[in-house]
Amino acid sequence: MSRPGTSHAPAAAERRPADAVVAEPRITERPSAIRLRDVGKTFRGRRRRTAALEGVSLDIEAGEFLCLLGPSGCGKSTLLGVLAGFVPADSGEVLVDGRPVRGPGPDRGVLFQTPTLFPWLTTRQNVLYGPKARGALTREVREEADALLETVGLADFRDAHPHELSGGMRHRAAFARVLINHPSVLLMDEPFGALDAITRAGMQRFLLELWQRHRMTIVFVTHDVEEATLLGDRVAVLSGRPGRTKAVVDIPLPRPRVYEDTETLEFVTAKRRIREVLER
Amino acid sequence: MSEQITSAAPLTAAQEPDGEDPPPATPGTTGAPGRRRRRSWRRVAFGGTGLLLALGVWQVAALVIGDPVTLPSVTETVREFGHYVTHRYPEVQGKTLLEDALISTGRILAGFGLGTVVGLVLGAAMSGVRVIRELADPIIAVVRPLPPIAFIPLLVVWFGIGETSKVALLFFGVVPVITIATLGALDAVPAELVNASRSLGASQFHTMVHVRLRAAVPGVITGMRIAMGGAWTSIIAAEMIAATGGVGFLILQAGNYLQTPLIFSGIIVIAVLGFAFDGLLRLLLRAADPTIRNS
Repeated sequence: MSRPGTSHAPAAAERRPADAVVAEPRITERPSAIRLRDVGKTFRGRRRRTAALEGVSLDIEAGEFLCLLGPSGCGKSTLLGVLAGFVPADSGEVLVDGRPVRGPGPDRGVLFQTPTLFPWLTTRQNVLYGPKARGALTREVREEADALLETVGLADFRDAHPHELSGGMRHRAAFARVLINHPSVLLMDEPFGALDAITRAGMQRFLLELWQRHRMTIVFVTHDVEEATLLGDRVAVLSGRPGRTKAVVDIPLPRPRVYEDTETLEFVTAKRRIREVLER
Repeated sequence: MSEQITSAAPLTAAQEPDGEDPPPATPGTTGAPGRRRRRSWRRVAFGGTGLLLALGVWQVAALVIGDPVTLPSVTETVREFGHYVTHRYPEVQGKTLLEDALISTGRILAGFGLGTVVGLVLGAAMSGVRVIRELADPIIAVVRPLPPIAFIPLLVVWFGIGETSKVALLFFGVVPVITIATLGALDAVPAELVNASRSLGASQFHTMVHVRLRAAVPGVITGMRIAMGGAWTSIIAAEMIAATGGVGFLILQAGNYLQTPLIFSGIIVIAVLGFAFDGLLRLLLRAADPTIRNS
């Protein structure tokens, strides 16, 4: 199996000649590093308190692809919500680029389990939502939106409404909507969990190519060991409730990775190591 | 299918079919307009045929019965209708059909409009402020199942038989319906939609206006359609009980003098007005909710 993109893809994205026709915008100028120290979160219900996270510590390098893996209900999504700024942590330190997280912001792009597009806006209006809401809508941004729609393969569907798109298309539209903000971190909460296996493989390939080219920091929540192995540089395994970091497993597979790698022996070995940690 | 990654080209994965199903509908207005137009023509044709059939049955029944007081024929009703559009009934101090229709419409617009505004504000306040919700919940729960018509005598005692009592009646009928519709629609806005807006850089205020309120609009309009149906019921009843004008008053007068064709004329006016108002609200709903535009 040949992989022609192996050597030059990331380099080309970083060192493009100035006079080249820029068909696609640079998405991340500078990826962020993330630092979590003893992060705890307890939800207080009417009758009982649920400890969702307890003493989670994790360092994520700038430009790293980290997968958060754990059984359902272990607080993976809560941890992502803390990073996104939707859920304030009760204790501990949450730093993105050395600055504490104080709420949601466009520097951390979030992709949810469902694409959560605004159903009353067209694809293009959805993509332009962020810049428009921040009062940063210029001609350049509009052009960039069109280029991004081209990138995610939705140029022909820019005036369609979300309900007219297929599942995978909606996810790619959600990608474009986040990428136009030039996020330094992408936070993804089981984004492909609801897709059928074939569409899912397509989206994983899409994500790998995107990351290969733009190298933003990605925190990717999943409960699928194979998905975590295929995508991540490292896989942080969380224990059951309350969630805490059980182990962080390196995935020594070479980059760029393609979907076909899932059939290699190294892949299966890496997968088995993660599963062992998970079942420990 | 190449896996070549070149930086200037679109991501290859995005261009591959991904094995996805084709999108459920053709995008925007570029879809097959011919087919859609044909389907809507078909609907109009069949709907028209249905109405004509009903009129045919009416006409035959009238001819069989042969008593215009019990059941006037279609032609007779149409003639009377045409006559009273511009002629007063009763002749001395009555009004024309058109005037009565305008009176009823005016009352609907005033009462329904006021009720909708107050219901919107109350529903939004209940959704946003917990204390208001807890205070207003039981009141709404008690008031909503009451038929507004029960209040007519009370409103007449308070406000007389003039316009105020009619507008007040409509107002009290409309407010609970719109309040509950607004509250329900706002509560149903997914938290993720709000989170998505915030993480895209929108302020809290911008998110409130452009996401939460906007997402609730279709639900509110559906509530308005329900309230509009109730409003017509209330106003006709009120005009029959205590009024000096309006379609309800006209129908009651015509009934008292066994003017059956005029009764039918009044009913037709209500049908046309009710259909027109609901049609306007449906247009509004279509404008607000793109997911129903293709149906």
